[in-house]
Amino acid sequence: MYRENGDEIFVVDGHMHFWDANPENWRNEYGEGWIRCFYDFHTALSPEEYVWPFEKYCKYGEETLINDLFSEGYVDIAILNSTYLYEFYKNGFNTHQQNNVIKAKYPDRFILCGSFDPRAEEAGLDTFRQMVEDYPIQGIKLYTAEWRNGSKGWRLNDPWAYKYFELAGELGVKNVHVHKGPTVYPLNRDAFDVADVDYAATDFPNLNFIVEHIGLPRLDDFCWIATQEKNVYAGMSVAMAFIHSRPKYFAEIVANLLFWLGEDKMIFGSDYAIWTPKWLIEKFMALELPDDIKEEYGVDLTLEAKRKVLGENAARLYGIDLPTHREKLSQDEIGVKLAQGA
Amino acid sequence: MYDDVRLALPDTLDREAIFKRLEKVLDPELDESILGLGFVKSIEVENGHLTIELHLPTYWCAPNFSYMMAEDTRRELLTVGGLHDVTVRLKDHFAARAIEAGVNVGKSFSEAFPDEASENLCQLSDLFLRKGYIRRQERLLQNLKNAGLSFEEIATRCIGDVYFEDESCQIRRNNGQIGNIGAAEVARQYFQRRAEMDLDCSPTAPLIIDLRGREVTAEQLEKYLIRARTVRVSLQANGLFCTAVLAARKGKN
Repeated sequence: MYRENGDEIFVVDGHMHFWDANPENWRNEYGEGWIRCFYDFHTALSPEEYVWPFEKYCKYGEETLINDLFSEGYVDIAILNSTYLYEFYKNGFNTHQQNNVIKAKYPDRFILCGSFDPRAEEAGLDTFRQMVEDYPIQGIKLYTAEWRNGSKGWRLNDPWAYKYFELAGELGVKNVHVHKGPTVYPLNRDAFDVADVDYAATDFPNLNFIVEHIGLPRLDDFCWIATQEKNVYAGMSVAMAFIHSRPKYFAEIVANLLFWLGEDKMIFGSDYAIWTPKWLIEKFMALELPDDIKEEYGVDLTLEAKRKVLGENAARLYGIDLPTHREKLSQDEIGVKLAQGA
Repeated sequence: MYDDVRLALPDTLDREAIFKRLEKVLDPELDESILGLGFVKSIEVENGHLTIELHLPTYWCAPNFSYMMAEDTRRELLTVGGLHDVTVRLKDHFAARAIEAGVNVGKSFSEAFPDEASENLCQLSDLFLRKGYIRRQERLLQNLKNAGLSFEEIATRCIGDVYFEDESCQIRRNNGQIGNIGAAEVARQYFQRRAEMDLDCSPTAPLIIDLRGREVTAEQLEKYLIRARTVRVSLQANGLFCTAVLAARKGKN
């Protein structure tokens, strides 16, 4: 909960990780390359006082996570991504099984995303069904550029992907978080290309597609698609991190999203532990769009809009009733501790 | 200029010629020169053989785009007098070996990666040529607007109405007066890309045309500019991210 001048703002962190990238888990040089690249993102855009040592960054553990999100970071609910990367990490990077340990401990604090890979074809459908039966899966995180047996990626409009979307709809898993890129191997086609979202969103109007990182580096293409499709949302992680070193620029990105998509379709995400929510949220709440941008785009980032972006929009997608949920959160272990500290 | 590039060149070689060539090599996604972006780490010449080391922002930078940059770098440098061979190296990149092995013997992307690429990079490269066109045009449009030209007036201007005076750019207004529309670089870059795309660059051609060479009317201009602005913001966001990450990466070396 973020509190300011008597206002209480419910915060859903729409995109975060609980990863294990300690060197013992690296399968090969790519495991190291992956986490070092994340670490470059972290050091490039974080305020200096929030930069971690590399060792901590590789594996930060539960206590750090709970503290950074809920005790210090204003977050009420966090959406746990599952990213497997078995070709880089022996036990996976942050699988739904790993994530579920923390979800089970704090059931009302986390939304657990599962995943599927349509390249597993028929057999994978059963695996996915089983995953949803065995784990409290509420969303799906898809990673179209992941390597698999020599394949360097897939697309949302591949025929097998459609069978999985049909099944997801049947199982009631309606929120699909899509990560585009990075392009990890020579593919003459563009792995950041967001055009496949357009097809899937049109053909599955019962599902919501949250495009993580607002399609960067294809923000423009993403905007054209999101404007046409009612069920396409902007996941703002990564873009959020510009707010510290390039606030004016961040304001222009926000103005674009407000202009093309509107405040009901923008979803905050920290991408923890790439960045921590505390400073992102504080700076976001303090942000006012500069007058020239307001005038040029004809939009404004009002308190109402911030409220939606930081929590209400994601809560709506996941069917969370805010008053009821707040009551629950006030009584869990974290809520009780927070109340004592307050 | 470009102080951060480590140089080991014989005095007989024209370093300005090398930099001039490298300024032409663009990161295709960002539409900015690899030199300006800080991607060039070192240049060494021994017995007429130049070795250039590129340092891209991430270990994972898309191999297809990386290939294009390496290929363009080699092609441009081979035109510099006094050099008989050019070798491009990629520092800390996961596909460095494969890219270097292809680029340095003059193979195309699809020859170098026969299993990965079913066709060549032209299509992708065209996409970014077009995005870059819109971005360059958007800068000019903003300058025209800032100089007080209405959409009606902008729509009736021709290429012949624009001319350069030293480093500034002038336009003949519809009342016959001359107005300053900012830095010459903005219009120059726009015209350059327009020519590269084989769009009409004759003096009587309309100043603002779309990607297919069609005139943009005064009524269409407002919406056109709104879209162009988003293309520019997208490209800029990429550029910012890449330069910030590269700076962080360099700081750790």
